[in-house]
Amino acid sequence: MINVDVKFFGPLRDIVRSNEISLEVPPPHSGDSTFDALVVIYPELSKWRPSVRLAVNFEYVPFTHNIRAGDEVSLIPPVSGG
Amino acid sequence: MVSISTSTINVPAIIAAVATPQSGAMDIFIGTVRNNSGARKISRLEYSAYVPMAEKLMTAIELDLRSKWSVHEVIMVHRVGMLEVGDVAVVTAVSSAHRKEAFEACRFAIDQIKSIVPIWKKEFADDGEMWVEGEHLEGIQEMKSGPFSA
Repeated sequence: MINVDVKFFGPLRDIVRSNEISLEVPPPHSGDSTFDALVVIYPELSKWRPSVRLAVNFEYVPFTHNIRAGDEVSLIPPVSGG
Repeated sequence: MVSISTSTINVPAIIAAVATPQSGAMDIFIGTVRNNSGARKISRLEYSAYVPMAEKLMTAIELDLRSKWSVHEVIMVHRVGMLEVGDVAVVTAVSSAHRKEAFEACRFAIDQIKSIVPIWKKEFADDGEMWVEGEHLEGIQEMKSGPFSA
């Protein structure tokens, strides 16, 4: 298990009622396993899986991306700037 | 120059900053807060951003743009916080020798911002609040960006 801090934005903050959540992620330490661990706590997140993007260290990466302790992990819901 | 700003965007300052002696064209896109969203009456919009990633991606957009078009100055600024109808939410400004490059590059900049930069808006309408799912300068002088400015 590793400890991962996940940042939330926009509508996802309304679901988790926080800007950031710290959780223990089982191996493999990927975006997928991180999301799965979050869905256990916040089932409502599951409907966002198709549209949400994963960012690690300020870059979009696939959910298969390997997450390491200390990475900045963020869930990015569909953007609506402009 | 790119930035996420918590203060009013100074459009004249941006225009002055992209002007160069060798430029024969400047294209400025100004995105403002509209009073409606379809049938809904909008009173204000709240923009938030993942600031460090937003600025990183906006810088990447500028580099991409410069690889595609020959341009002089590029400025992209998106505001965050609570905005009223009519307020300027985003400005993209490009200068170049001739108009074609400036038009195309400016459009590319705003289109890319709207599609990939982690910025979100929440509408405050007569029938309640709603996050927009979808598709944002500052004065060049005050570039304030803090984590999760809201």
